[in-house]
Amino acid sequence: MGGKVTCTLGEVKNRADFIVFWGGNPAECHPRHFTKYSLMPKGKHVPNGRKDRTVVLVDIRETKSVKAADIFLQVRPGKDFEVLTILRALIKDQAVDPRQVAETGLTLEQLTDLVARMKRAKFGVMFFGMGLSMTRGKHMNSAALLTLAAEMNAFTKFVAMPMRGHGNVTGADVVMRWQTGYPFGINFSRGYPRYNPGEFSTVDLLVRGDADAALILGADPGATMPQPAIDHLARIPTIVLDPKVTHTSRLARVHITTAVTGISAPGTGYRMDEVPIPLRPALKSPYPTDEEVIRRIHEAVCAKPDWIHANGQYTTNQV
Amino acid sequence: MSAIVLRLKDRPAVPLEAEVISPDLLAEMPHADIRAQAVYLGKRRLRLDDLFEVEGERSDQVEVHGDLGQVKWLGRGMSRGSLVVHGNAGMHLGAYMRGGRIEVHGSAGDWLGAEMKNGQIRVQGDAGGQVGAAYRGSLSGMRDGTILIGGSAGLEVGMRMRRGTIVIGGRARDFAGLQMKGGTLVLLGGAEIRAGAWMVRGTIISLQPLTLLPTFTYACRYNPDFLRLYSRFLAPLGIELPVAAQQGSYALYSGDASVPGKGEILVWQPV
Repeated sequence: MGGKVTCTLGEVKNRADFIVFWGGNPAECHPRHFTKYSLMPKGKHVPNGRKDRTVVLVDIRETKSVKAADIFLQVRPGKDFEVLTILRALIKDQAVDPRQVAETGLTLEQLTDLVARMKRAKFGVMFFGMGLSMTRGKHMNSAALLTLAAEMNAFTKFVAMPMRGHGNVTGADVVMRWQTGYPFGINFSRGYPRYNPGEFSTVDLLVRGDADAALILGADPGATMPQPAIDHLARIPTIVLDPKVTHTSRLARVHITTAVTGISAPGTGYRMDEVPIPLRPALKSPYPTDEEVIRRIHEAVCAKPDWIHANGQYTTNQV
Repeated sequence: MSAIVLRLKDRPAVPLEAEVISPDLLAEMPHADIRAQAVYLGKRRLRLDDLFEVEGERSDQVEVHGDLGQVKWLGRGMSRGSLVVHGNAGMHLGAYMRGGRIEVHGSAGDWLGAEMKNGQIRVQGDAGGQVGAAYRGSLSGMRDGTILIGGSAGLEVGMRMRRGTIVIGGRARDFAGLQMKGGTLVLLGGAEIRAGAWMVRGTIISLQPLTLLPTFTYACRYNPDFLRLYSRFLAPLGIELPVAAQQGSYALYSGDASVPGKGEILVWQPV
């Protein structure tokens, strides 16, 4: 259960000879990924570059990434969890009914061949995208892939990595994790962090209407979240920190324009393999950085009377 | 000993965490102490009587009235007495419960009876997801006890449950019995896809056809003897399981081969 077996992209470049892309379209969404890390580069243990690598693409439709792959497996929409569960059974030599396998859009032969190749590999990587993690089953689809990668280590070295996008989302997860022990969906209302995705994750809080204020930093939920969540953001006082006008900033009460991190503000960006990269600004900006705005808000809040402790409130037994 | 009656004044705008509303805690308490108990409205600590009208004292029979859909952790870890909710209940109702009885005349939220060890929960209406489940990162869900739901239920019902019984009257959503390790899940109204995914052991009984994962294997059709005993256990709770051979039989599927597990799914097939 749970857990991510992973590595850095440097290891992928130097060692990986078997690469699976699941539910993603890196040719269009991560255009430098192929050339810098996963397909083309010559690495220490893959001296011939592309020739030493086998590339499998699993998706529900043919995308531009198909051309880059050796094997393309077209899964019926919403059947990823089933395919991953079958693979988990096949690597353990369990029998699976071929007729039921056919319902996933793939044949048993295709999957047995994939399993044989996976076991033959010296270093396998599974990259997964939003086609897996944002379709029916959500976190359980990702869990299925991560578990498969973990279980493959009984046979050979195998790792899994999400194909992250949208700026510095990995950074938010990493920083939350070392500060609180949890990556997201954290509640501090009792004075200590509590983690429960589904209860405390942003989209669920907003859909249920549990929050009575929102501070949005470096994200545009107004463009991606379901309509009830967007409606709730428009109802409550929403504060947005963003360099540009977004869907969210249009429905917010307050929009603070900030400098663009990496272009006109310094900072640290986390690559999808959680390696921190320092960002050097090329331009100057008249606007304050996100960090400066948050620090000034924090200072103003600290200057207010300490009502929490004055109220006799302190951390009680952990719920 | 008359019951302690709590009436919610207004539905709170943000979630209210009220784990103090539990018979264990209130049973020995004088009226004034009950009123002064701390509840958390968002991050603010308030007194119980700021939000509830309180009647009675020193009783392990607790009644709560009002729309408590935003009130979380009712009956947390209770071990005796009864908690009756007239209206909807929020998340984590009866979580970590060790004994006693909870009755909800309305619907309940997610994580109902999560990681409970014993006792009985009955919900007249619908329940949310993760009924009797394990919390994130925890190895096992409910250890024993009974959860009865009249209406439908959400995702991941009985996730990682180890023992005990869950009965869903209506339809359960995806992943019913996910990673089950034991116990019995009765689906009177069937379930959506992926029931029994990754189950290790335990029994899922469905009276409606199920769409199973390809990793489940059909074994046989029969009328298992233990179901007669089981229906005798469920009958006093008002639940009838068909067991007579002239009415039909159960198709047995075993799985989940991906674990590989020894779980069993019994699907009722009337003649």
